[in-house]
Amino acid sequence: MLNYNSPINKEIKYNDISIKEFSPIMKLNLRGKKREFFTTVGKHLDMILPTEANTSSSSSKLTSIWLSPDEWMVISNEIAKKDTNKYDVEESLYNDISKNNLGAVIDVTDHFVMLELEGKNIYELFASGSPFNFNEFKEKKGSTTQTLLNNIDVIIQNKRKNLVNLFVRRSFSEHLYSWINDSASRL
Amino acid sequence: MFIINCPYCGERDHQEFKAGGEAHIERPKQPTELSDDEWAEYLFMRKNIKGVQFERWNHAHGCRKWFNMVRDTSNDQIILTYKMGEKPPAQ
Repeated sequence: MLNYNSPINKEIKYNDISIKEFSPIMKLNLRGKKREFFTTVGKHLDMILPTEANTSSSSSKLTSIWLSPDEWMVISNEIAKKDTNKYDVEESLYNDISKNNLGAVIDVTDHFVMLELEGKNIYELFASGSPFNFNEFKEKKGSTTQTLLNNIDVIIQNKRKNLVNLFVRRSFSEHLYSWINDSASRL
Repeated sequence: MFIINCPYCGERDHQEFKAGGEAHIERPKQPTELSDDEWAEYLFMRKNIKGVQFERWNHAHGCRKWFNMVRDTSNDQIILTYKMGEKPPAQ
């Protein structure tokens, strides 16, 4: 990641809720339908892409999130180096998938901001700004959803009980962060 | 607030969706052979009926997939949703 300049510079902490940004986290967008696409991705990532809607799967290094029947986001579980924006996984996937017309591999590391929200009140916070029903979501580890939060498109992944990752487009991140700060302070 | 059943993601609030007009309109196989009136008929004219209508919808703030919906426009009752490419139920 180069010239990284985040509008989010401090951790928010209120009663039973804390929010902070994790960066840089490698994020890749994968698209494809062909059988060869799935086998090639499986070989490179050492994991099978989730085909069930609203789910994710994890290995020791990576997590893949279902976005649509032919689209996934693969993220690194750990923080990447700050002095580069090249990733071995991306390069090998790009060479074997994009160049062979099996699908598309796009680096969206700088496109999305990843926030980690933790605490008992995170679903109260979501309920105040999202039309999505989180009742089943919060009980199932690894569940994901794409929905609206304060009318902003977000991707939310349930990491474990009372701990979620939230992805938002960088240009909306400052606005969403200030909304979260405001809403969390009222819970 | 009402719920729409996306064929891919499941039940979601209608805020996440965008309507895409009437469904199952076939593009003429030889547009160059059509008169201007026939082309305008294909391009612009829609039934807009009061009652059960076949529509296209897009899950714009979710999986971003298009799908079809059978909806009663008189009372907003959603009768059925099904994927693109699937045959519409008998009318």
